Amino acid sequence: MNRLPRTLWAIISSRALPPVVLGFFLVLYIGIAFFTDETLITLMALTRRIPLLAGLLALLPLNSGCRMIVESRRHLKRHRALSGMARSVNADLFDESVELSAPALFPQLELRLSAEGYATRSSGEFLVALQGVSLFPARLLYLAGIFCLFGGILVSLMSRSVDRQAVIQGAPFPAPGGNGGIVEKITFGISNGSILERELLIEVANREGKGGGAFGVYPPGRFRGTFVYPRYLGVALICRFIAPDLPGGYEKSAVLPLYPPGREASAEISGTPYRLTLSLATPEDGSDPYMTGKMHFLFKLLKGKELLLAGSLPEGGEFSRDGYRLSIPDFRRMVMTDFVSDYGVLLIWWSAFLFTAAFFLWLPLRLLFPRREMLFRSQGESVRACSRAEGARRTHAGVFNEALDLLETTKHDAN
Amino acid sequence: MQFVFKLIPQLIAWTIMVLLLLRGIPGRRRGVSLWAAGGFTMGVVGYALLARLASGTVPLGIIRCAVGGSFFLLWVVAVAAVYRSTVRDFPLVRVERFVESPFCAWGGGAIVGMVAGGISASLFPGSESGTVRFLVFSTLALAGVLLVVVARKVEWRLAPSIGVTPSSLPAVLVALLLFSSSSSLVLDLFSPLSMKVMKGTHDFVHQFMESILIPDHIFIRPAIWGYIGFLFGKEVGFWGGMVIWFFPVILISLAIYLEPLPSVAQIRQGAQRRRLLAAAISKKRRTLVIPAIALAALAGAAYRSSFPNVEYWDPKPLSVTATPAGELFIPRKGEVDLEDGRLHKYLYKQGGKEVRFFVLMTPAGKLTVVLDACAICKPDGYGQTEGMVLCYYCKTLIPLDTVGKPGGCNPVPVSFLEREDGVRLDALTLVNSWNRTVQTTTKSSGEGK
Repeated sequence: MNRLPRTLWAIISSRALPPVVLGFFLVLYIGIAFFTDETLITLMALTRRIPLLAGLLALLPLNSGCRMIVESRRHLKRHRALSGMARSVNADLFDESVELSAPALFPQLELRLSAEGYATRSSGEFLVALQGVSLFPARLLYLAGIFCLFGGILVSLMSRSVDRQAVIQGAPFPAPGGNGGIVEKITFGISNGSILERELLIEVANREGKGGGAFGVYPPGRFRGTFVYPRYLGVALICRFIAPDLPGGYEKSAVLPLYPPGREASAEISGTPYRLTLSLATPEDGSDPYMTGKMHFLFKLLKGKELLLAGSLPEGGEFSRDGYRLSIPDFRRMVMTDFVSDYGVLLIWWSAFLFTAAFFLWLPLRLLFPRREMLFRSQGESVRACSRAEGARRTHAGVFNEALDLLETTKHDAN
Repeated sequence: MQFVFKLIPQLIAWTIMVLLLLRGIPGRRRGVSLWAAGGFTMGVVGYALLARLASGTVPLGIIRCAVGGSFFLLWVVAVAAVYRSTVRDFPLVRVERFVESPFCAWGGGAIVGMVAGGISASLFPGSESGTVRFLVFSTLALAGVLLVVVARKVEWRLAPSIGVTPSSLPAVLVALLLFSSSSSLVLDLFSPLSMKVMKGTHDFVHQFMESILIPDHIFIRPAIWGYIGFLFGKEVGFWGGMVIWFFPVILISLAIYLEPLPSVAQIRQGAQRRRLLAAAISKKRRTLVIPAIALAALAGAAYRSSFPNVEYWDPKPLSVTATPAGELFIPRKGEVDLEDGRLHKYLYKQGGKEVRFFVLMTPAGKLTVVLDACAICKPDGYGQTEGMVLCYYCKTLIPLDTVGKPGGCNPVPVSFLEREDGVRLDALTLVNSWNRTVQTTTKSSGEGK
């Protein structure tokens, strides 16, 4: 009756599971690559849509969780054995195990092992010799990192939703669900950070009647559980246009991704054959128009594919030629922003911290203080000797073998 | 003559493969020899028949799939070998039983023989007459069988200390197959692998940055963005490809190195213990000779792939000018013959901008006009080789009959009018198409996400 759960547990907690699952996804990736150039995106979409694939991916965090349990139990059992609390010695917990028909005369052996730099502990029944610090905490951190990474990827794949909105200075903050307050100010400036060169601050007033708040670039701010992720900058403007065949004129508001200067964006003038292409001019003094707020627009007016006019529009100015008149009476800073609802991101960030901590714990321990353990336990007329090392194995094995030789010699002396 | 010259390394590789198969499966030498010889003959005959009955790309596609599949299997073996060496209770007993079975030994010999035979046969140019082809393929099959006999004789005299472990045998066999296949542009796997790595890394970095909400390049210091941009370049493709290429053999070497030494705890004579351990360490070191041969073969394959012994048709672009109405005209016959099946490159200059494009008559007899650039890579252009054009940037081979179709690494098609006297293009459309393509590919290669 217990066979099925035992088999399931053996599979889920097996160290063979991650390479098999990852290998499967790799094969799938290669297969998809034959059909499309958007391989990764297709693989993500398939995993999101097909429960079987999501289930397979879920095996990875599940496996690391199970490994944490298995390895913790194993560590605790070994700890019990080494502290003399276990009644018998389980040889599977150690790298090497041997039984000697020798009397348990440990004092001489204890002195010898102490001289080799091992910390010893003994009673009449057993002798334990230890050196170095266990890598188990680093391993646990690593497994927790794996859990968070793949858990985060899974949560992100299954639950991520992105709502892209234009955040415009002076307009309502377009938070999901409304009542996000008013965007009081958008500031773009130089950053002193070592990674970020520019900083952006979206200041919002009257957020849900609670007063002001601000959202920066990184780490992204949060609003009602969603991350506020600025993507690119632009301008929200109102454009007035009069043409000979459009004497009544036309007024259009548009949100255009015009940053950095020189980047073109076009707006259709609906119901007419006209199209307007705008860009920001680079100021002669080398300043950044988005930072200073002094924006000078370059434009091209097309009728169908024909270029009618090209010129520039200074701030608040008007262009007029051949019966065409063009002006931009109002413009404001705009930040195209993604409102991202994704709890997986937090797990992925955590995995980065855990991996870093695991690495910086593992490296010095493994190089400088590797754990080495020996256990000698009397079993009637014989002694069970066990040894395990996480590093410096050859040296440790040499000391262990000499310790066994010493026990053997003690036996002959006793005889 | 060139065929014979190209064949020599393949046959040497085949002899080494058989030799190592015999050394790696010592209990079944006779069976392995027979199956390997039979496999090689079948590979040659199979290729000859398929090349005659189906399109030329079908047998090549089958060989490519077989070589690619074997490389994937090598990765599986490498990962399993590392787990086997480092994890005590790794469940591989049934797999090991299967690997030791005669079915696996004979089947392995036959499959290796078939692929090696197919690769060798594929080097023969398809333009020769039927009788010559028959003679060449018969001689090739006979040579393959004779080399099996030679390999048996050599293996007999080889030092018994050179051992082949169950994991290093597939490593060296696959490496030699990859070395053989790298002699042909169509069968080569390293360049397509590098390209896929480049595109895969680009996709992954892009997705990763979006997933953890990293800001766009306008916020980040150019030096930092330069490092990120490096991840989008072909150098990452090349070095990433190198890692994937060599890593399974390195893992297998690592597995051999990490294999625990025999337990000597029950031996109470120090000298005997040391002798036993020294013998085990020495055996380990000798076993590493085979992965070293595999690494050398893989390095040879990567070198042949990076510097192929192929001459590309890559004419200097001819300068063209537009009419006052903004039209470009390329005459069908004149300085160049557009119908000769070769690509003909042209250069159009407008206001400091240069646009490269080429005109080609496809095997279907249709003229096509495309940019000398694709929608993915930097615009390094294309060269033509037998039945293919090649993207210089990512080394992707594009069959001639798909030139003019959009997508992937195909050159970007340009709309044109085909007339009796030549082809006509709109200069503005051409310039816009070039600008759009080059802007996008330059951006994806480091200047933006």
